[in-house]
Amino acid sequence: MARRLKFNIFRYNPQDPDSSPHTDTFHLEETESMTLFIALNQIREEQDPSLQFDFCCRAGICGACAMMINGRPGLACHTLTKELPEEITLMPLPIFKLIGDLSVDTGTWFRSMYEKVESWVHTDKEFDPKAEEERMDNALAEEIYELERCIECGCCVAACGTANMRQDFVGAVAMNRIARFIMDPRDERTEREYFEIIGTDEGIFGCMGLLGCEDVCPKHLPLQDQLGILRRKMGWSAVKQLFKFGK
Amino acid sequence: MTVNTTAYVRSPSRTSAYLDWLQMLTGVALILFMWSHMILVASVNLGAGVMNALAAFLEATYMAQVGGPMVGCIFLLHFILAARKVPFRAEQQSTIWKLSRQLRHTDTYLWLIQATTAMIILIMGSIHMWTVLTDLPITAAKSAGRIQGGFWLVFYLILLPMVELHVGIGFYRIAVKWGFARRKDRKKFKRFENYLTAIFIAIGLITLIRFLLLKV
Repeated sequence: MARRLKFNIFRYNPQDPDSSPHTDTFHLEETESMTLFIALNQIREEQDPSLQFDFCCRAGICGACAMMINGRPGLACHTLTKELPEEITLMPLPIFKLIGDLSVDTGTWFRSMYEKVESWVHTDKEFDPKAEEERMDNALAEEIYELERCIECGCCVAACGTANMRQDFVGAVAMNRIARFIMDPRDERTEREYFEIIGTDEGIFGCMGLLGCEDVCPKHLPLQDQLGILRRKMGWSAVKQLFKFGK
Repeated sequence: MTVNTTAYVRSPSRTSAYLDWLQMLTGVALILFMWSHMILVASVNLGAGVMNALAAFLEATYMAQVGGPMVGCIFLLHFILAARKVPFRAEQQSTIWKLSRQLRHTDTYLWLIQATTAMIILIMGSIHMWTVLTDLPITAAKSAGRIQGGFWLVFYLILLPMVELHVGIGFYRIAVKWGFARRKDRKKFKRFENYLTAIFIAIGLITLIRFLLLKV
């Protein structure tokens, strides 16, 4: 027999002065292969059209539907209700600005973070639109692509003890981003330049190694490994600068 | 991110990196010290004479008189360095507890244990060091006398698991943070660390029982 699911959903509209944060309860009959994406849409269609939540691709690619599912950050479209108990509590991601109910603005945070870590290829080479594209070793391209798979959902930031306590901490997503550019031969930044961006307590040295990021990342990015590599690299960079060798 | 990065430019500094190095290095030094400390004290299980001989050696070479206070300094330095990360503000405290409860995430819980045991070790470890180092030489009879008094038995029954938990978790955390334990090794490494902690607590308990039964 199909289960009757109970949803506790956080409700608050910061735009509306009469709205105050509270939890609304909804009930749904569970259907086969039901995801939270399906469930939330059904609730909005049949029970409460004012319910706010974000969706786009419903296939784990756009990263818009990240939310706290029974206390853990995850993608609603990737979460089957059959993997959850009968009572499901949904909250918006912490840290990010709340738009309303389950919808948060990750865009502003990510834009600011990308500006901070200068998330683009730094090169002095003049771009020639007619020239053939530079070739890259396939193995390296795949290594870079592995880190590029990030969908910017914000789960790693929401699960991070450090980021939750300290708003200036850039989070695993930023380290992953920097690691990607360090690998990229087209980026001409020196180790010291990377160090100036990320070799701080807001960057890699602020990370306490709680590995919430690693354990919740819906794309299973190798965050633990990248954080470890980056800490060592930046640690050595500081030692090299102290004894004045290397660049 | 709430900080407007265009508002000011901070001069680049390497302080964070050096402090992180020091925190790790003092941690490693203390882990190695605690393991050797446990093995040296456990020598009483081989006989009071063995422990007395080892203690006499450490004092004849001035390792106890110089090394003891040195360990004390590293201990305090490690506390100051690691305290940079401990949530002393009430708001941060409530945030991290709430998050851990929500996430039900072992490694986040382990960090809370690390931070809590740290505070207890800071006080009890200092008391222990003061008591032992102001009453040299160390002998099996003196240690046994203290344990048999009752008060110190309870004291060490608390301090022992606190230290071993802190050392074990710290060991795991350093390995993970500095990339010595990779994703594929994490589970195995954690299990190894759990066994290690359990073994050291067991050795400690056996040693305490030995002191309790030692004829003074």
